[in-house]
Amino acid sequence: MVSLDPERKSSLRRELLSIVGQGGVLSDPDELLVYESDGLTLFRALADFIVFPTAAEHVAAIVRLANREGVPFVARGAGTGLSGGCLPAEGGIVISLMRMNRVLEVDYDNQLAVVEPGLVNLHLSWAVGPRGFYYAPDPSSQQACTIGGNIANNSGGPHTLKYGVTVNHVLGLEVVMPDDGSIVWLGGRTRDPLGYDLTGLFVGSEGTFGIVTKIVVRILRKPQAVRTVLAVFERIEQASAAVSAIIARGLVPAAVEMIDQLTIQAVEDAFGCGYPRDAAAALLIEVDGLRAGMDTQAARIGEACREAGAREVRTAADEAERQLLWKGRKSAFGAYGRVSPAYMVMDGVIPRTKLPYVLGRVNEIVAAHGLRVGNVFHAGDGNLHPNILYDPRKAGEEARVVQAGAEIMKVCAEVGGSISGEHGIGLEKADFMPFIFSAADLTFMQRVKTAFNPTNLCNPGKVFPTKKSCVEVGPVAYRPHAIEEQGLAQRF
Amino acid sequence: MLLDKLRSVVGAAHVLSGVELSPFVVEGQTPTAAVFPGTIDEVVAVVREAAAAGAAVVPWGGGTAVSVGAQPSRAGIVLGLRRLARLLEHEPGDLTATVEAGLTLAALQSTLRGRGQWLSLDPAEPERATVGGIVAANAAGARRHLYGTVRDLLIGITVVTAEGAVVRGGGKVVKNVAGYDLPKLFVGSRGTLGIIVDATFKLRPAPDDERLVAVRFDRLKDCGAAARSVLASDLLPNTLDIADATAAPALGLPGDPALVVGFDGLREQVDWQIGELTSLVATLGGRDVTPLPSAAWSRLTTAARDAIAAPAAVMSLSVLPALVVETMEQGAQAARQRGLTSAWAAHAGVGAVTGALLAEAEAAVVVAVLDEWRTIARGGGGHASLTWASLAVKSQVPVWDDPGAAGRIMQRIKAQLDPGNVLNPGRFVAGI
Repeated sequence: MVSLDPERKSSLRRELLSIVGQGGVLSDPDELLVYESDGLTLFRALADFIVFPTAAEHVAAIVRLANREGVPFVARGAGTGLSGGCLPAEGGIVISLMRMNRVLEVDYDNQLAVVEPGLVNLHLSWAVGPRGFYYAPDPSSQQACTIGGNIANNSGGPHTLKYGVTVNHVLGLEVVMPDDGSIVWLGGRTRDPLGYDLTGLFVGSEGTFGIVTKIVVRILRKPQAVRTVLAVFERIEQASAAVSAIIARGLVPAAVEMIDQLTIQAVEDAFGCGYPRDAAAALLIEVDGLRAGMDTQAARIGEACREAGAREVRTAADEAERQLLWKGRKSAFGAYGRVSPAYMVMDGVIPRTKLPYVLGRVNEIVAAHGLRVGNVFHAGDGNLHPNILYDPRKAGEEARVVQAGAEIMKVCAEVGGSISGEHGIGLEKADFMPFIFSAADLTFMQRVKTAFNPTNLCNPGKVFPTKKSCVEVGPVAYRPHAIEEQGLAQRF
Repeated sequence: MLLDKLRSVVGAAHVLSGVELSPFVVEGQTPTAAVFPGTIDEVVAVVREAAAAGAAVVPWGGGTAVSVGAQPSRAGIVLGLRRLARLLEHEPGDLTATVEAGLTLAALQSTLRGRGQWLSLDPAEPERATVGGIVAANAAGARRHLYGTVRDLLIGITVVTAEGAVVRGGGKVVKNVAGYDLPKLFVGSRGTLGIIVDATFKLRPAPDDERLVAVRFDRLKDCGAAARSVLASDLLPNTLDIADATAAPALGLPGDPALVVGFDGLREQVDWQIGELTSLVATLGGRDVTPLPSAAWSRLTTAARDAIAAPAAVMSLSVLPALVVETMEQGAQAARQRGLTSAWAAHAGVGAVTGALLAEAEAAVVVAVLDEWRTIARGGGGHASLTWASLAVKSQVPVWDDPGAAGRIMQRIKAQLDPGNVLNPGRFVAGI
C-alpha cells in the first residue's frame, strides 16, 4: 500500500477539495469505514479518501492529481458488487460516482438514453416507463446498483436469457482515461463502431480501463404481453431436465429461474409468496412479447415441464400473482437471513445440459464440508448461484466456505463453464482465473489492460491472479488470500 | 526462402505462388504467397516464419470483404483459413456451437437448420463468407434489426497472435464475465490483432414460420414515416429495411421506394403482425403489401450496390435510426447536383445506410460526392466508411472516418498486441 504521511495526506485533501468543493471529500477513519467493503463482506480495505465528483472534469482532475502523486484510485458506484471489485486494494482514492446520477437525455425516436454512471439501474426504467419504455438489464440489486457499476461488471439479471446482458444495451461511453485524465468517447449513439469495438471491450473491464462519466444505453419498448409460469418438481434433476426440454422445443423464454427447496422454505417463511414448501425445486418461467401466440408458448412450456416430471404447472392469474412470484425470486437472498447468520453467494456458469450433474456435485461438495447450500439461479443461462450458509462466529467455518467455493468453481471450469456469469472476478476470484485461462490468455489480457491503463494506478490488484501458481484445491486447510498476506485487506 | 519454409510447414500443395495468386491481389498488390494451414499448430508456424522473414500476414477467409480497407502499408503473405472448416462442437441443448474459422456460413447454417437451430446472422454472400471473416469484418444482414450483430452472438474465440501464441477469450457458455471480453475486441478487427481460428456462438431455435413483405410508397419520406411507426408499435419485426426507387429493382420490386419488413416466430404471430403492418401502412400511403421470396433476405444488405452495374464507389453510413430517410435523400441529392445517379438502401431500424454511386464520372466528381456523403453521415450523428472504391478515389477519400481521441487507444492496443505490425498492416482505422 502507498503510505501517505500526514502532511502529504492533508495537502492531497486540500487539492481534492479544491476540485470537488466543500463536502466532496471524506477522510476521517469513521467515515472511510462505510466504504471498506462491497456486497461481499469477506474482503475489506480502507481508502485514504472518498471523493464525490459531480462532473467529468472533476473526475479528470482527480485522475491527473492521482497520477502526479502516484496514488492508486478506484471508481465506486452503490457498492453492491459481489467480488470486491471496487475495493481500494492498495489504498488511495475511491472516486464515488453517486452524485453523478442524472438522466441527461432520453431520445425516444432513436430509443436511447444518455445517463450518468451513478444513476440507479431501476430509476432509468422509472424515468422512461411513462412513455412505455424500459431498460432491459435487471440485476437483482437493481433498486440500488448503478448503471456505472453495471458497466464495470457487465451485469446480467433474470431476463438476460432473452435480452442479453449490459453490453448488449450499451452504445457509447464517455471515459476518463486513467493515465492522463483525458476525456474520450468510445462508441456513440449510432450502432456500428468505427474501428475496434472499444465500448464492447470496456464493458466488463471491472474498473481497470478507466472511469465512465456518461453512458448511452438503448431503451426498449415494453412488451405487449407477459406470461409467468411456475413449475413445481419433486426432484431437482427433473427441474434441470425441464430447462433443456424447454429449449429443445424451440422456445427462448425471457427468463427461466430455478429455486430449490431450502430457498423456497426460507422465502415462504419470510414473505409467503405462494411457492409450495414441500417441493424439491421450482422453475419460474416467463415469456414475453406479442399477445398473439402467448397461449401456444405457455402450453409448450407446460408440456415440456410435465414431460420432465413437473407435479404442477401454474400460470400467474394476474399481475399481482406475477409480482408475488417474482418477489419470492428476487428476495431470496434476503430470506436466507432467516435460516442462517451469513451466506456466501457463488457465481459460476455451466453449459445448460450439465445442470443435473453440476447441481449434484455442488450439493456433495458443500455437504462434505459440513455446510448447507441454497440454490436460486438463472437456470436458462446455466448461471448458478449456490449460496453457502454458515456462521462466521464458528471457528473455521468461513474457511470451509471459501474452500467449498473454490471446489465448486473448479467443477464449473471442468465441465466447460466459467467462474463468473455476472458478479465479476474482482479480488474474490482473481486467483481462480487460471482455472479457465492459460498464461498466454492472461498475458494477452494484461497487454490490453496496459493499452488503457499503462500506469496501473486505476483499480490495481484486480482480475489477474496475484500468484503465479493457481490456487490449490483439495483437502488442505484454509490459506489466507494473497492480499491478506500483504496486509492489503482483511477477511471477516 | 520464405516460400520453402512455408512449404515445409504446410506442404507444397497448400502454398500458392506466382500466377496462382491473382485471386489474392489486394489494392493492386500481389502477395508473396498464399498459404493454407490445416491445423492451429500450422497457423502458428506460418505466422512465426512470416514474422521472422519480416513479411506481413493477411488473414483470408472467403475474400468477400477484402475490398474494404486502405492500401496495405507493405506486402506479405496471405494466410487462408479454408482448410480449418469443421464444426467442432454443437450441443443443441446448450444452444451453442464452436466453429473453425474457415467454415462458410451457408455450410454452418445448413447443418444447424438440420437440427432445428440457426446462427442468427445473415450477411451477404453466405456461400463464400466464412465464420472467421464474418467476425473479423463484423458482417451482418437485415435480421440484425432483431437479433443484433456479431458482438451480440459471439461468446468465445481462439486466435493466433502476431507472435504465434494461441490465445482464447470468452468461453463456451452464454453468460460469462471472467476476464476481459476479448471476443468483442476481435469483432470488426479486420485481421489486425490476431488470426481467428475458431469461434463460439450463441444459437437460436429455428422459427416455425418466417415471412418477408414489401410495401410500395410514392415518396421515400413516407417510407421513413412508416418505418418510424413500426418502431413505435407493438410489432417485433426481424427486418425493417428501406430501399429507394433506384435500389428497389435489385430486390425484384418496381421502381418505387419500398419498405421491406420481415417477421418470424409462431405462425399465428407472423399472421397477426402482417395484418397489423398492413393496416398501419395503409394510413401512411403504403400500397401493395407483397410477399418476397426468402432468398430476397440475403440481398437486402447489398441492394444499393447491386442496383448499379459497376459502381464507382459504395459507402456505408451509420446514422441515427430517425435520420435514415433524410440521410438517403440528402445523399441522393448530393449526387444528383453533380449529374450522378445513386442508389440507396438501409437497415432502417438500426441506422445502417448504404449508398452506391454510378460509375460514369471523373474521379474528382466522385470524390466530391463522397466527401459530402461523409459530411451528411456526421450530421446524422454518425460516421461513414468507404466500402468499395478504386485506388484513385481511395487516395483522396479516406476509407475510414476519423475515430477522434479513441483512435489513440486503438493504436495503443495494436502496438501492445502486434508490436511488429505483422498483421494486415495499414488497412484499418487510424493507420492501423
